[in-house]
Amino acid sequence: MIEQITTESTNGKIGAVMVLGAGVAGIQASLDLAEMGFKVYLVEDQPSIGGAMAQLDKTFPTNDCAMCLLSPKLVDTARHHNIEIITNAQLHKVDGQAGNFSVTVKKRPRFIDEDKCTGCGTCTTNCPVRNIAHFEEVDEIGQVQLDEEDSQTLQEILTRHEAERAAVISVLQDVNAHYRYLPEDVLRHVAHALKLPLSQVYGIATFYNSFSLVPRGRYVVRVCMGTACHVKGGHRILQALERTLAIPAGGTTEDKNFSLEEVRCLGCCGLAPVITINEDLYGSVTQAKLPKILDRYQGEPVAAETTTAGADDG
Amino acid sequence: MAETTASSDASKTYRAELLICAGTGCVSNRSFKIRDALEAEIRQRGLDDEVRVVTTGCQGFCAQGPIMIFQPDGIFYQMLTEEDVPLLVEEHLIKGRPVEKLMYVPPEGDEVVPKLSDIDFFRKQRLVVLRNRGLIDPEKIDEYIARDGYRALAKVLTGMTSEEVIEVVKASGLRGRGGAGFPTGIKWGLTRQAEGNGKCIICNADEGDPGAFMDRSIIESDPHAVLEGMAIGAYAIGAKNGYVYIREEYPLAMQRLHIAIDQAREYGLLGEDILGSGFSFDLAVHRGAGAFVCGEETSLIASLEGRTPEPRIRPPFPAQSGLWGQPTNINNVETWANVPVIISRGAEWYASLGTDTSKGTKVFSVVGKVNNTGLVEVPMGITMREIVFDIGGGIPDGKQFKAVQTGGPSGGCIPESLLDLPIDYERLMEVGSIMGSGGLIVMDEDTCMVDIARYFLDFLRSESCGKCTTCREGIAAMHDILADICAGQGEPEHIDLLGELAEAVSDASLCALGGTAPNPVLSTLRHFRDEYEAHIRDKKCPAGVCRALITYRIDPDKCKGCLLCTKACPEQIIRGEAKKPQTIDTEACIKCGVCRESCKFDAVLVE
Ligand SMILES: Cc1cc2nc3c(=O)[nH]c(=O)nc-3n(C[C@H](O)[C@H](O)[C@H](O)COP(=O)(O)O)c2cc1C
Ligand code: SF4
Ligand code: FES
Repeated sequence: MIEQITTESTNGKIGAVMVLGAGVAGIQASLDLAEMGFKVYLVEDQPSIGGAMAQLDKTFPTNDCAMCLLSPKLVDTARHHNIEIITNAQLHKVDGQAGNFSVTVKKRPRFIDEDKCTGCGTCTTNCPVRNIAHFEEVDEIGQVQLDEEDSQTLQEILTRHEAERAAVISVLQDVNAHYRYLPEDVLRHVAHALKLPLSQVYGIATFYNSFSLVPRGRYVVRVCMGTACHVKGGHRILQALERTLAIPAGGTTEDKNFSLEEVRCLGCCGLAPVITINEDLYGSVTQAKLPKILDRYQGEPVAAETTTAGADDG
Repeated sequence: MAETTASSDASKTYRAELLICAGTGCVSNRSFKIRDALEAEIRQRGLDDEVRVVTTGCQGFCAQGPIMIFQPDGIFYQMLTEEDVPLLVEEHLIKGRPVEKLMYVPPEGDEVVPKLSDIDFFRKQRLVVLRNRGLIDPEKIDEYIARDGYRALAKVLTGMTSEEVIEVVKASGLRGRGGAGFPTGIKWGLTRQAEGNGKCIICNADEGDPGAFMDRSIIESDPHAVLEGMAIGAYAIGAKNGYVYIREEYPLAMQRLHIAIDQAREYGLLGEDILGSGFSFDLAVHRGAGAFVCGEETSLIASLEGRTPEPRIRPPFPAQSGLWGQPTNINNVETWANVPVIISRGAEWYASLGTDTSKGTKVFSVVGKVNNTGLVEVPMGITMREIVFDIGGGIPDGKQFKAVQTGGPSGGCIPESLLDLPIDYERLMEVGSIMGSGGLIVMDEDTCMVDIARYFLDFLRSESCGKCTTCREGIAAMHDILADICAGQGEPEHIDLLGELAEAVSDASLCALGGTAPNPVLSTLRHFRDEYEAHIRDKKCPAGVCRALITYRIDPDKCKGCLLCTKACPEQIIRGEAKKPQTIDTEACIKCGVCRESCKFDAVLVE
C-alpha cells in the first residue's frame, strides 16, 4: 500500500510534521510537537512503536525502570488526536522544499484487517510456525578471502593464543604488530574465528590507542604528551614535527616513511620531553635536535637495537 | 643506604663492583653500550677476575643518567659516555684515583659530592619498597634471594595461617597505592570471606597517570618483590591464579617480569606445591593496549576478559564478583611490593613510619621543572617543600616555584603557600588534591595554570570511555571553554559555567574518571584564579604559554647578533645584520618558540 501525504495551507507552509523513528526520542518529539498544535505523522519501521528503550531493564544513570518511563508516553502517543502512527513502514521518497514537503511512505502488508484487529494476540499463540527470520543471513566470511600468506599469519597468531575469546586483545596486538595496523579483512576473520560479533571486535579495535585501522609508516614517531613532557614543552615538539613532516598528529607521510602519533607518558618522565621512533627512545628533545634525529630514519628500518640511540648528539 | 651488594656467585668475591643502571631512562642514554665498553676494557686490562660489572634496575636519579655506582667505595658517577670508559678504568680501577669530572655537582654549589650517600637527593630518602634498587641485578633471582628475598613467603607458608597474614597487613596500616588509598588488609579480608569457587588476584600495573613511573621502576628494578607480595596475598586470600596487567608502553618492565616469573617457577616459588607447603599459585601476564580507563578495576577486568573495557557499576565489587565472576582482589604494584617487608619486619615496624592515618613510605616521581628529576621514596608525612627543594634540589635556572601537581588527571595543584603541608592521603584531599599514584609534577613561573587545566581535560576527553553522557560530553564542553579562554575568547561568565559543569560531571558519572575529572579545573580555580582573570579580562597569559595571547620579541640590549635564532627559525622571519641586535617579524611569527629555546643570552622575550 502506498500512501501519499500532502497537506495544503495558505502561506505555502504547512502545519504538519513527520517524525521518523518511534523510539523514545521520536515519541517525545511527536508529543511535544502535537502539544504545540502540529499534526504529526510518526513513521516507524518496526511493527510497533517503542524502540530500544522498551527492551531495556534500567536507564542510566538514575537506574529508573525503563518501562515505567516509557509506557505512559506510548499510551499518550497512541491516544493523541494530533498524532498519526504509521508503523511497519518505510520512507520511500521526499519531494518539495522546507516548509512544504510531499512524502511517500511505503507500508508493508500486515496480512490482517487493521480495522477489525483488536491486538488480542490469539493468532500469535496459535500459529503453528515459529521463529520465522525476517532477514536473510549472508555468508559474510565466505565473501572475504585472505590470501595464502595472510591466512597463514593469522592462523599462527590464533594458534598462539589458542583461539580463545578472552585473548582477542592479544590477537589484535599481534596482528597490529605484524601489519603495523589492523587490516579490515583480517579483522573480519578474527571475529569469525573467535566467534565474536564483528561489532565487538571493531569496538575493541577502536577503543585502545595502540591499534590503528589505517596503514602506518615504516617509522612511527610517538611524541609523549604526558604531564611532565607537557610542562617541559612536549606540545611544541609535536607542532615542530607536524611542520617538518607536513602531517598532522595521527597522520602518515605520503611515502609511508613516517607516522606521527601522540602517546600518554612513556614512563621516562625524568628525561622529558621524550619521543620514540619505533623502538628507539630520545630524551630531553629540543626542536633544534629534531632534524638530525629524523635524518637517521630514511630507508628501510634497521633491526631494533637492544640499546636505544643516544639523545645528546644533536 | 646499605653498602653491601649481593653477589650471585657466592663463592667468588670481587675487589670492586661497578653497578650500572639499566632502567629505561639510562638505557635510552646508552647504558648497555657503556656496560659493554666497560666489560671489554676490563677484560683487556686483565681485571676480569677482580672486578665485576652488574646491571641494576633504575636508581631513581634519572636526570643524571647514565649512572654508575662504584662499590665498595660508594662513589656515584653520572652522565657517562662510552668515551669516559678508558679514563675511568685507568684512573679509578688501576690507579685508585676516583675521577672527579664524572661526579655529581649540586645545582647551587661547585664542590663535587663523590659519595652517593652524601648526595641530598638520596640522603633524605627512606627505602622500603625500593630497598633493592640499584643493588641487585633484577634479572637474577639469586641476588634477590641473597638479600632475604622470598623469606617472607617462606615464613608465611611454614608458620602462619591466612587469617594471621591478613591481621598483620591490617595492623600495618598499609593503604592502596593505586590512588584511592583503601586499606589493603580490609580488602584482602573481604575477598577471603567472599563465597565462590576459585578466587584470583590481580596486580594493576597499568600506571595510566601521565607523569608517574614508579610502578614501571619497581618492576624494572625488583620484579621479585612484586611476585613475592602477590604470592603472600594469594595465600592469605585463598587464590590460585594471579594476573599482572601491564601497560604495553613498558617493554623493558614486561621483559623483566617474564624473566622473573620463569625463574620463580624454576625455583619452585610459583606453581604447584610451593616450598612443599601444599599451596599452589601461578601467574599470567597480560599486556594492555593503551587506554587510561583500563586502570579502573572493573574496566581492567573487562579488558582481561576480552570485552570492551568500560567500567561497570559497583556493587558487586570485584571482591564479590570480579574476573569470570570469581571473587577478585586488585592491588597496585607498589602495594604488592610493600607486603614482603611488612611480613618480614612486622606490622609494628611498618606502622611506626608515616602519619596517623597514612603509614609507611610512598614512592613519588618528581618531575617537571625541578633540578633533580627522578624517583624518590620518602616516609609519609614529609613536607612538599622537603621533596621539591631538599631532595629535588629546587627549580632550575633560578626560576620561581609556582605549584606542584599531584594525583594526575584526578588530582590538583598545590601552591607555594601550602608547601609545608605534610603529605598524607587526608591532608592532600583537604587542599583539593589527591595522593593518586604518586606523580609530582613541579611547575615554575613559566607554566600556565589555565593551560594545565586545559591539558588535563584534553587528556580526559580523549580517554573517557564514553559510557556516561556527562563524562563524554561534559568534559568536552569544559575543555572547549578552557580552550576558548586560552585562545583569548574567554568571557567573565565562563568561570561560573565551568563550576556548574564541574558539578554535573562529577555527580552523574559512573566511575572515578568522570567523578574526579573536574578536579584539575577546580583546584587551579581555587589557587590561581588571578591567572584565569588575566586570560579573560586582560587577554594576557602571564606565563607566556598560550599561543594566541603572546608575542615573541628580541631584547636589543641582550642580543649579540649571533644569528643562532635566525638559523633555527622555521619561517625565516628573524632579520638583522650579524653582530647587531635582531628583530622578529611579529606578524608572520607562528610562535613556535625555537628562537627562545636556541638563544644563549636569554635575549628572546615572551610577553
Ligand atoms: C580512571 C582510573 C584509572 C586508574 N588507573 C590506575 C592505575 O593506572 N594504576 C593503579 O594501580 N590503579 C589505578 N586506578 C585505581 C584502581 O581502580 C584500583 O583502585 C587500584 O588498582 C586498587 O589497588 P590499591 O588498593 O592497591 O590501590 C584507577 C582508577 C580509575 C578510576
Ligand atoms: S565516568 Fe567516564 S570513563 Fe567512567 S564509565 Fe562513565 S564515561 Fe566511562
Ligand atoms: S610524561 Fe612524558 S614520559 Fe612521562
